[in-house]
Amino acid sequence: MTTAQPLVDLRDITVSFGAVKALRGVSFDLRPGEVHALLGQNGAGKSTLIKVLSGVNQRDGGTVLVHGKETNFKSAQDSRDSGIAMVYQDLSLVPSMSVASNLFLGREPHGGTRLVRNRSIVHAAQKYLTEQGFPIKASARVGALPFAYRQLTEIAKALMGDIRILVLDEPTSALSAGEEEILFKTVADVTERGVGVIYVTHRLHEVFRISDRVSVLRDGLNVGTHNTSDITMDKLVSEIVGPGHERMAQATLSVEEGDRRSAFRDESSESSTHAPVIELRGVTNARLKGVDLKVRPGEILGLAGMVGSGRTEILETMFGLRRADEGEVLFEGKPVRWGSPHQAIAAGVALVPEDRHEQGLVLADTIAANIAMPRLPQLTRAGAFTKGEANRRAKKAVSDLNVRAPGIQTKLQNLSGGNQQKVVFGKWLTPEPKLLLLDEPSVGVDVGARDEIYGIIRGFARNGCAVVVVSSELVELQLLCDTLAVIHDGRVTTRVHTSEVEGEERLHHLVQEPAR
Amino acid sequence: MSTATTPAPAAASESRRNLARDLFSSDRPYGVLLALIALVVFFSIKSDVFFTSANLQNIGRQTTLVTIMAVGMTFVIIAAEIDLSVASILKLSCVSAALFMNDFSNNWFLGAMVGVAVGAFIGLVNGLLTTKLGIPSFLVTLGMLGVAKGIAFVVTDTAPVLVDSRPFWAVFYEGSIAGIPVPILWTIVALLIGGVLLHFSTFGRKVYATGGNATAARYSGINTDRTKILCFVFTGVLAGLASLIFTAQGHAARPDFADGLELDVIAAVILGGTSLFGGRGSIIGTLIGSLIIGVLNNGLVLIGVSSSWQIAVKGFIIILAVALSKRR
Repeated sequence: MTTAQPLVDLRDITVSFGAVKALRGVSFDLRPGEVHALLGQNGAGKSTLIKVLSGVNQRDGGTVLVHGKETNFKSAQDSRDSGIAMVYQDLSLVPSMSVASNLFLGREPHGGTRLVRNRSIVHAAQKYLTEQGFPIKASARVGALPFAYRQLTEIAKALMGDIRILVLDEPTSALSAGEEEILFKTVADVTERGVGVIYVTHRLHEVFRISDRVSVLRDGLNVGTHNTSDITMDKLVSEIVGPGHERMAQATLSVEEGDRRSAFRDESSESSTHAPVIELRGVTNARLKGVDLKVRPGEILGLAGMVGSGRTEILETMFGLRRADEGEVLFEGKPVRWGSPHQAIAAGVALVPEDRHEQGLVLADTIAANIAMPRLPQLTRAGAFTKGEANRRAKKAVSDLNVRAPGIQTKLQNLSGGNQQKVVFGKWLTPEPKLLLLDEPSVGVDVGARDEIYGIIRGFARNGCAVVVVSSELVELQLLCDTLAVIHDGRVTTRVHTSEVEGEERLHHLVQEPAR
Repeated sequence: MSTATTPAPAAASESRRNLARDLFSSDRPYGVLLALIALVVFFSIKSDVFFTSANLQNIGRQTTLVTIMAVGMTFVIIAAEIDLSVASILKLSCVSAALFMNDFSNNWFLGAMVGVAVGAFIGLVNGLLTTKLGIPSFLVTLGMLGVAKGIAFVVTDTAPVLVDSRPFWAVFYEGSIAGIPVPILWTIVALLIGGVLLHFSTFGRKVYATGGNATAARYSGINTDRTKILCFVFTGVLAGLASLIFTAQGHAARPDFADGLELDVIAAVILGGTSLFGGRGSIIGTLIGSLIIGVLNNGLVLIGVSSSWQIAVKGFIIILAVALSKRR
């Protein structure tokens, strides 16, 4: 190993949020010219560690050395001044402006006149981009660029100035295969110049592709740091997952639940007794490339796959938000061509969307108003809104789903994430749907509420509702689902019964392996 | 705002803050009501004639056009859209009604229907362009402001079109029932219909949801395009109704009048606590907002403020009132 001084040396970092210990003594170092991958499940502490380095979170204990000097970042600007650049998943570019204007945003070079000369900006930007080897035209409008080039622009912007440390947070999650190559090449070029790169990702293939070393975090602790050439995919997966989840999975399943599940064990015999609620046959559209899927009454089907694999688009197609260009969608055996959610809802489909603030709720409105929203046609008598019935349903939902709120007239913005999510479920409680679609049902929900939400989902299934769950958390899919479909690049690559998948590790492999 | 946390701690200060917020919020527009009362008291002290029943009726009549159109505008703004063309709809509607009665039939009822239908049609076009072509309603209705006004000028040669129909004058302006002048009765009808639609009908729920979060509304099966189109049509219908009152008042359709009325209408709605960003607002608030505009227009004349100063003072008070209701 080289003896060069590390660019960054984090030692025994601890961070707490209230009573929750996010980091319990994590160490991490970054050498010049290397790519150091940082792995771990959601909640393992990756982003907290990154935020300590970027000055967003303050540490409670431990030391931060940058270029060998002990530092104490109070703000993101402090961190930036020390030569650390962050590229986050959500881009911080202005789409309507040119690449050059974005690169110089807020630090436009100007002569004595304080007037910004567009030509000189484009010129300076192009010179920088060419020197640094970025294949981007400075005069191009950012909004017109393919996604990968926008990301490169972001990296180019981050690297302006005297930057020695670059942090990439899941940079490929929205990129296509070809676009990834462009990004990887840029990362390689950058390290050649001695910049160290911290690379946060969920995709293990990328780790082996571009990183020199890899560190795994779990539950706020270091699990291991390895030279990438010394470790195998199997070892990495078991470090990420850790022991003990299988037992939890068994414990949460009641006897009754076990019976319900076993009903879906044998695919072939099942098909004769229960007709599927929804069936996709060779469905093809912008993001899907021939999807075949069936869901039966009472079945909980999990869709596993990477972000961007097409799993959300499958739900959107089932909910009438996307049409099938080719292939067909059958609902209760009859072909349907829904062009809008209200047709799907009228047929008995319900969606708990991924982003409850954007897609699920009117935050400024009350619980009662939100719960009434998808059922307005039923709550209308001669054009009048039947407030009594709506309030009755809202009260039932609040008590059935154990929403902790002062009353049904409480506004959603005053509820915690878990209770907001219960209200999203409450929208579909009366009458119960025939098909319930869930996109990341427990995102931003605390552990206690999460168990309650799992209970709610199983309750829907016990009453004969077909359920489809999309989740990035594979443990969640294993806990909840009877059957699993692995989605990759707009196709179903594997279809299994949950009991056939031994342990979360196996599922990790199923999701990772089709990825080239 | 970030994800809301549990509201349990600081409940006491929370409730105090809630009271303060309620005073100026859209749901309970006490703040603007206080402003209205303050203005009434101020003008009553400054002028002997202000607080007389004759003058109050005057205010009611003068405010009719603004209030009726503001009821429709409340729907459009709660749905997170805007209609800048209401004054031009009024011009084209009244001209159409007057020309119809002069050239085709002197049946006052048919004439009135033509006026309302023209208003509804322009509203429909506004709504379709906004939703189906995805053009921001600010631009669609800014364009329509010119189109409708221009056509009204062209078909009349910018001259007033006389309406000689006693029943028409009586029904829309000159009559009274139980001592209450009909323009005020029409205002009350518009307010009642608007209030019931917005606060008690399913359609009202859709308007709030569409303006509060259009994506969530769509994901809940609400046809947000249709909801918005209906809001524009409703505004057009009410602008058509206002045009009839306007015509009956002058015994003529005057396409050269009512310029800039849309700004009074929008100001009334915003004063009433309706959020320009959509999702919040009420008909009672809009009534209070309209009355503030009406009281200002009337009171400033009575206390002898010059017409040039009136414009500036009115603008200043509107900014002040909105600034007050923004304070948290």
